[in-house]
Amino acid sequence: MLENWTEQLRRGTLEMAVLLTVAPGPRYGLEIIRHLEEFTDLVLSEGTVYPLLTRLARDGFLTAEWIEDKAPHPRKYYRLTPSGRARLNNMCREFQAFTGKIARLMQAAGRDV
Amino acid sequence: MTLSESGESRVRGYLYVFERSLRSFLAPKVAADAVREVESHIREAVAQAGDPPDELDALERILMRLGAPMKVAQAYSLELVMDEAETTGRLGPVFRSLFQMAATGVTAFFGAFGLFAGYMIGLASLAIAILKPIFPDNVGIWMHDGIPVSAGALFPAPPAARGLTLAGGYAVIPLFLGLGLVLLLVTHSLARQWIGRIRARRQRKGPVSIR
Repeated sequence: MLENWTEQLRRGTLEMAVLLTVAPGPRYGLEIIRHLEEFTDLVLSEGTVYPLLTRLARDGFLTAEWIEDKAPHPRKYYRLTPSGRARLNNMCREFQAFTGKIARLMQAAGRDV
Repeated sequence: MTLSESGESRVRGYLYVFERSLRSFLAPKVAADAVREVESHIREAVAQAGDPPDELDALERILMRLGAPMKVAQAYSLELVMDEAETTGRLGPVFRSLFQMAATGVTAFFGAFGLFAGYMIGLASLAIAILKPIFPDNVGIWMHDGIPVSAGALFPAPPAARGLTLAGGYAVIPLFLGLGLVLLLVTHSLARQWIGRIRARRQRKGPVSIR
Protein backbone atom coordinates (compact mmCIF):
# COMPACT_ATOMS: atom_id res chain seq x y z
CA MET A 1 0.00 0.00 0.00
CA LEU A 2 2.78 2.44 0.90
CA GLU A 3 4.46 1.57 -2.38
CA ASN A 4 1.32 2.59 -4.29
CA TRP A 5 1.18 5.87 -2.44
CA THR A 6 4.86 6.56 -3.13
CA GLU A 7 4.27 5.68 -6.78
CA GLN A 8 1.42 8.21 -6.96
CA LEU A 9 3.66 10.90 -5.47
CA ARG A 10 6.40 10.04 -7.93
CA ARG A 11 4.06 10.22 -10.90
CA GLY A 12 2.54 13.47 -9.76
CA THR A 13 5.88 15.21 -9.50
CA LEU A 14 7.76 13.75 -12.47
CA GLU A 15 6.38 16.31 -14.92
CA MET A 16 7.44 19.19 -12.67
CA ALA A 17 10.85 17.60 -12.17
CA VAL A 18 11.36 17.30 -15.93
CA LEU A 19 10.38 20.95 -16.48
CA LEU A 20 12.76 21.99 -13.67
CA THR A 21 15.55 19.99 -15.29
CA VAL A 22 15.28 21.82 -18.61
CA ALA A 23 14.56 25.22 -17.00
CA PRO A 24 18.22 26.38 -16.92
CA GLY A 25 18.82 25.50 -20.57
CA PRO A 26 18.35 22.89 -23.30
CA ARG A 27 19.13 19.27 -22.42
CA TYR A 28 18.85 16.00 -24.33
CA GLY A 29 17.02 12.88 -23.14
CA LEU A 30 19.74 10.93 -21.36
CA GLU A 31 21.10 14.14 -19.84
CA ILE A 32 17.64 14.85 -18.38
CA ILE A 33 17.42 11.32 -17.01
CA ARG A 34 20.89 11.45 -15.44
CA HIS A 35 20.09 14.82 -13.86
CA LEU A 36 16.85 13.45 -12.41
CA GLU A 37 18.69 10.38 -11.11
CA GLU A 38 21.30 12.59 -9.48
CA PHE A 39 18.77 14.59 -7.48
CA THR A 40 15.73 12.31 -7.14
CA ASP A 41 14.52 8.73 -7.37
CA LEU A 42 11.65 9.66 -9.66
CA VAL A 43 12.86 7.69 -12.67
CA LEU A 44 12.29 3.97 -12.25
CA SER A 45 12.26 3.16 -15.94
CA GLU A 46 14.24 5.41 -18.28
CA GLY A 47 12.03 4.58 -21.26
CA THR A 48 8.99 6.25 -19.71
CA VAL A 49 10.65 9.68 -19.61
CA TYR A 50 10.66 9.95 -23.42
CA PRO A 51 6.88 9.66 -23.89
CA LEU A 52 6.48 12.32 -21.19
CA LEU A 53 8.94 14.60 -22.99
CA THR A 54 7.10 14.01 -26.27
CA ARG A 55 3.76 14.88 -24.66
CA LEU A 56 5.17 18.03 -23.05
CA ALA A 57 6.53 19.06 -26.46
CA ARG A 58 3.21 18.29 -28.12
CA ASP A 59 1.39 20.37 -25.49
CA GLY A 60 3.69 23.31 -26.22
CA PHE A 61 5.56 23.34 -22.90
CA LEU A 62 8.84 22.23 -24.50
CA THR A 63 10.39 22.58 -27.92
CA ALA A 64 12.40 19.69 -29.30
CA GLU A 65 15.23 19.95 -31.79
CA TRP A 66 17.50 17.30 -33.26
CA ILE A 67 21.18 18.33 -33.19
CA GLU A 68 23.46 16.22 -35.36
CA ASP A 69 26.92 17.61 -34.75
CA LYS A 70 27.46 17.57 -30.97
CA ALA A 71 28.04 13.81 -30.70
CA PRO A 72 28.75 10.82 -32.99
CA HIS A 73 24.97 10.24 -33.02
CA PRO A 74 22.11 12.77 -33.21
CA ARG A 75 20.68 14.08 -29.96
CA LYS A 76 17.24 15.54 -29.39
CA TYR A 77 17.44 18.66 -27.23
CA TYR A 78 14.48 19.91 -25.23
CA ARG A 79 14.02 23.55 -24.30
CA LEU A 80 11.39 25.20 -22.10
CA THR A 81 8.92 27.45 -23.97
CA PRO A 82 7.39 30.61 -22.42
CA SER A 83 4.20 28.65 -21.80
CA GLY A 84 6.24 25.85 -20.22
CA ARG A 85 7.96 28.37 -17.96
CA ALA A 86 4.60 29.81 -16.92
CA ARG A 87 3.34 26.30 -16.18
CA LEU A 88 6.48 25.51 -14.18
CA ASN A 89 6.10 28.71 -12.14
CA ASN A 90 2.50 27.79 -11.33
CA MET A 91 3.47 24.23 -10.45
CA CYS A 92 6.28 25.37 -8.16
CA ARG A 93 3.98 27.84 -6.41
CA GLU A 94 1.27 25.21 -5.91
CA PHE A 95 3.79 22.61 -4.80
CA GLN A 96 5.37 24.92 -2.21
CA ALA A 97 1.97 25.94 -0.86
CA PHE A 98 0.91 22.30 -0.67
CA THR A 99 4.05 21.01 1.03
CA GLY A 100 3.98 24.00 3.42
CA LYS A 101 0.46 23.08 4.53
CA ILE A 102 1.38 19.41 4.97
CA ALA A 103 4.48 20.44 6.96
CA ARG A 104 2.31 22.57 9.26
CA LEU A 105 -0.08 19.67 9.65
CA MET A 106 2.82 17.37 10.57
CA GLN A 107 4.10 19.86 13.11
CA ALA A 108 0.63 20.14 14.62
CA ALA A 109 0.61 16.34 14.94
CA GLY A 110 3.96 16.42 16.72
CA ARG A 111 5.91 14.93 13.81
CA ASP A 112 9.40 16.10 12.95
CA VAL A 113 9.60 17.86 9.58
CA MET B 1 32.18 1.13 -25.63
CA THR B 2 31.97 0.17 -29.30
CA LEU B 3 29.41 -2.47 -30.03
CA SER B 4 30.38 -5.71 -31.74
CA GLU B 5 28.19 -7.25 -34.43
CA SER B 6 26.21 -9.24 -31.83
CA GLY B 7 25.73 -6.08 -29.75
CA GLU B 8 24.50 -4.19 -32.82
CA SER B 9 22.19 -7.07 -33.59
CA ARG B 10 20.73 -6.91 -30.07
CA VAL B 11 20.12 -3.15 -30.43
CA ARG B 12 18.47 -3.64 -33.83
CA GLY B 13 16.28 -6.37 -32.35
CA TYR B 14 15.19 -4.09 -29.48
CA LEU B 15 14.40 -1.24 -31.88
CA TYR B 16 12.53 -3.58 -34.24
CA VAL B 17 10.19 -4.80 -31.48
CA PHE B 18 9.77 -1.23 -30.23
CA GLU B 19 8.89 0.07 -33.68
CA ARG B 20 6.43 -2.77 -34.33
CA SER B 21 4.76 -2.11 -30.97
CA LEU B 22 4.47 1.62 -31.68
CA ARG B 23 3.17 1.29 -35.22
CA SER B 24 -0.25 0.00 -34.21
CA PHE B 25 -1.25 3.16 -32.39
CA LEU B 26 1.07 6.06 -33.27
CA ALA B 27 1.17 8.07 -36.48
CA PRO B 28 4.16 6.89 -38.59
CA LYS B 29 6.01 10.20 -38.23
CA VAL B 30 5.67 10.21 -34.43
CA ALA B 31 6.66 6.53 -34.26
CA ALA B 32 9.76 7.14 -36.42
CA ASP B 33 10.81 10.05 -34.20
CA ALA B 34 10.30 7.93 -31.07
CA VAL B 35 12.44 5.13 -32.50
CA ARG B 36 15.15 7.61 -33.44
CA GLU B 37 15.11 9.07 -29.93
CA VAL B 38 15.29 5.69 -28.21
CA GLU B 39 18.15 4.67 -30.52
CA SER B 40 19.91 7.91 -29.64
CA HIS B 41 19.45 7.07 -25.94
CA ILE B 42 20.97 3.60 -26.41
CA ARG B 43 23.93 4.94 -28.43
CA GLU B 44 24.53 7.65 -25.84
CA ALA B 45 24.35 5.20 -22.94
CA VAL B 46 26.67 2.79 -24.76
CA ALA B 47 29.16 5.62 -25.37
CA GLN B 48 29.04 6.56 -21.67
CA ALA B 49 29.51 2.96 -20.52
CA GLY B 50 33.29 3.15 -20.99
CA ASP B 51 35.04 -0.12 -21.68
CA PRO B 52 33.26 -2.84 -19.67
CA PRO B 53 34.73 -6.38 -19.55
CA ASP B 54 31.52 -7.94 -20.84
CA GLU B 55 29.95 -5.86 -23.63
CA LEU B 56 26.72 -7.85 -23.91
CA ASP B 57 26.15 -7.76 -20.16
CA ALA B 58 26.65 -3.98 -20.13
CA LEU B 59 24.28 -3.62 -23.08
CA GLU B 60 21.63 -5.74 -21.38
CA ARG B 61 21.83 -3.49 -18.32
CA ILE B 62 21.35 -0.42 -20.52
CA LEU B 63 18.32 -1.97 -22.19
CA MET B 64 16.91 -3.15 -18.87
CA ARG B 65 17.12 0.37 -17.44
CA LEU B 66 15.35 1.64 -20.53
CA GLY B 67 12.55 -0.91 -20.08
CA ALA B 68 11.12 -3.69 -22.23
CA PRO B 69 10.33 -2.34 -25.74
CA MET B 70 6.64 -3.18 -25.51
CA LYS B 71 6.36 -1.46 -22.13
CA VAL B 72 8.06 1.67 -23.45
CA ALA B 73 5.68 1.62 -26.41
CA GLN B 74 2.77 1.32 -23.97
CA ALA B 75 4.05 4.37 -22.13
CA TYR B 76 3.92 6.31 -25.41
CA SER B 77 0.36 5.14 -25.90
CA LEU B 78 -0.59 6.26 -22.41
CA GLU B 79 1.06 9.67 -22.72
CA LEU B 80 0.10 10.46 -26.29
CA VAL B 81 -2.69 8.48 -27.87
CA MET B 82 -4.99 7.85 -24.91
CA ASP B 83 -4.35 11.34 -23.58
CA GLU B 84 -5.25 12.85 -26.95
CA ALA B 85 -8.25 10.54 -27.35
CA GLU B 86 -9.68 11.44 -23.96
CA THR B 87 -8.99 15.17 -24.04
CA THR B 88 -9.70 16.02 -27.69
CA GLY B 89 -12.08 13.20 -28.63
CA ARG B 90 -10.62 13.12 -32.16
CA LEU B 91 -11.66 10.01 -34.05
CA GLY B 92 -8.15 8.93 -35.11
CA PRO B 93 -6.70 8.70 -31.58
CA VAL B 94 -9.96 7.21 -30.23
CA PHE B 95 -9.90 4.42 -32.83
CA ARG B 96 -6.18 3.81 -32.29
CA SER B 97 -6.76 3.59 -28.53
CA LEU B 98 -9.70 1.19 -28.97
CA PHE B 99 -7.65 -0.94 -31.35
CA GLN B 100 -4.80 -1.09 -28.87
CA MET B 101 -7.04 -1.76 -25.87
CA ALA B 102 -8.83 -4.58 -27.74
CA ALA B 103 -5.57 -6.51 -27.73
CA THR B 104 -5.11 -6.31 -23.95
CA GLY B 105 -7.68 -8.90 -22.83
CA VAL B 106 -10.96 -10.70 -23.48
CA THR B 107 -13.18 -8.16 -21.70
CA ALA B 108 -11.39 -5.28 -23.38
CA PHE B 109 -11.77 -7.02 -26.73
CA PHE B 110 -15.54 -7.34 -26.38
CA GLY B 111 -15.79 -3.79 -25.03
CA ALA B 112 -13.90 -2.41 -28.02
CA PHE B 113 -15.93 -4.65 -30.34
CA GLY B 114 -19.20 -3.30 -28.90
CA LEU B 115 -18.06 0.29 -29.36
CA PHE B 116 -16.89 -0.44 -32.88
CA ALA B 117 -20.32 -1.96 -33.62
CA GLY B 118 -21.96 1.18 -32.21
CA TYR B 119 -19.94 3.37 -34.59
CA MET B 120 -20.74 1.10 -37.54
CA ILE B 121 -24.50 0.97 -36.84
CA GLY B 122 -24.52 4.76 -36.41
CA LEU B 123 -22.74 5.23 -39.73
CA ALA B 124 -25.05 2.70 -41.43
CA SER B 125 -28.09 4.63 -40.15
CA LEU B 126 -26.70 7.85 -41.60
CA ALA B 127 -26.04 6.04 -44.86
CA ILE B 128 -29.70 4.93 -45.01
CA ALA B 129 -30.83 8.54 -44.47
CA ILE B 130 -28.49 9.78 -47.21
CA LEU B 131 -29.30 7.02 -49.73
CA LYS B 132 -33.09 7.13 -49.34
CA PRO B 133 -33.70 10.16 -51.60
CA ILE B 134 -31.29 8.72 -54.20
CA PHE B 135 -32.71 5.16 -54.23
CA PRO B 136 -36.26 5.55 -52.87
CA ASP B 137 -37.35 2.04 -53.97
CA ASN B 138 -34.31 0.24 -52.55
CA VAL B 139 -33.68 1.86 -49.20
CA GLY B 140 -35.77 1.87 -46.04
CA ILE B 141 -37.35 -0.49 -43.53
CA TRP B 142 -38.11 -3.87 -45.05
CA MET B 143 -41.28 -5.61 -43.82
CA HIS B 144 -42.49 -9.18 -44.20
CA ASP B 145 -46.12 -9.89 -43.33
CA GLY B 146 -46.28 -6.58 -41.48
CA ILE B 147 -43.21 -7.35 -39.35
CA PRO B 148 -40.01 -5.32 -39.82
CA VAL B 149 -37.20 -7.73 -40.76
CA SER B 150 -34.38 -5.38 -41.67
CA ALA B 151 -33.36 -1.83 -42.43
CA GLY B 152 -31.02 -0.86 -45.21
CA ALA B 153 -30.59 -1.04 -48.94
CA LEU B 154 -31.35 -3.95 -51.27
CA PHE B 155 -30.08 -3.92 -54.86
CA PRO B 156 -31.95 -4.86 -56.93
CA ALA B 157 -35.23 -4.39 -55.07
CA PRO B 158 -36.68 -7.84 -54.22
CA PRO B 159 -39.62 -9.07 -56.35
CA ALA B 160 -43.06 -8.78 -54.75
CA ALA B 161 -43.25 -12.60 -54.73
CA ARG B 162 -40.77 -12.72 -51.84
CA GLY B 163 -43.26 -10.87 -49.67
CA LEU B 164 -40.90 -8.07 -48.75
CA THR B 165 -42.33 -4.58 -48.76
CA LEU B 166 -40.75 -1.23 -48.08
CA ALA B 167 -42.24 0.77 -45.23
CA GLY B 168 -41.75 4.22 -43.80
CA GLY B 169 -41.51 6.21 -47.01
CA TYR B 170 -39.43 9.36 -46.74
CA ALA B 171 -40.03 9.45 -42.99
CA VAL B 172 -37.03 7.11 -42.67
CA ILE B 173 -34.75 10.04 -43.56
CA PRO B 174 -35.25 12.05 -40.34
CA LEU B 175 -35.69 8.82 -38.36
CA PHE B 176 -32.36 7.30 -39.40
CA LEU B 177 -30.61 10.64 -39.45
CA GLY B 178 -31.58 11.15 -35.80
CA LEU B 179 -30.85 7.54 -34.85
CA GLY B 180 -27.43 7.64 -36.54
CA LEU B 181 -26.39 10.89 -34.91
CA VAL B 182 -27.57 9.78 -31.45
CA LEU B 183 -25.80 6.43 -31.81
CA LEU B 184 -22.55 8.05 -32.93
CA LEU B 185 -22.64 10.63 -30.13
CA VAL B 186 -23.48 8.08 -27.42
CA THR B 187 -20.88 5.57 -28.70
CA HIS B 188 -18.23 8.27 -28.92
CA SER B 189 -18.99 9.54 -25.44
CA LEU B 190 -18.84 5.98 -24.04
CA ALA B 191 -15.55 5.36 -25.88
CA ARG B 192 -13.96 8.50 -24.39
CA GLN B 193 -15.17 7.62 -20.90
CA TRP B 194 -13.84 4.08 -21.20
CA ILE B 195 -10.48 5.25 -22.53
CA GLY B 196 -10.31 7.71 -19.62
CA ARG B 197 -10.94 4.93 -17.11
CA ILE B 198 -8.36 2.60 -18.68
CA ARG B 199 -5.87 5.46 -18.86
CA ALA B 200 -6.39 6.33 -15.20
CA ARG B 201 -6.02 2.67 -14.22
CA ARG B 202 -2.83 2.32 -16.25
CA GLN B 203 -1.47 5.54 -14.76
CA ARG B 204 -1.99 4.05 -11.30
CA LYS B 205 -0.22 0.77 -11.98
CA GLY B 206 1.36 1.40 -15.35
CA PRO B 207 4.75 1.18 -16.96
CA VAL B 208 6.61 3.73 -14.82
CA SER B 209 6.85 1.02 -12.18
CA ILE B 210 8.52 -1.49 -14.52
CA ARG B 211 12.11 -2.37 -14.10
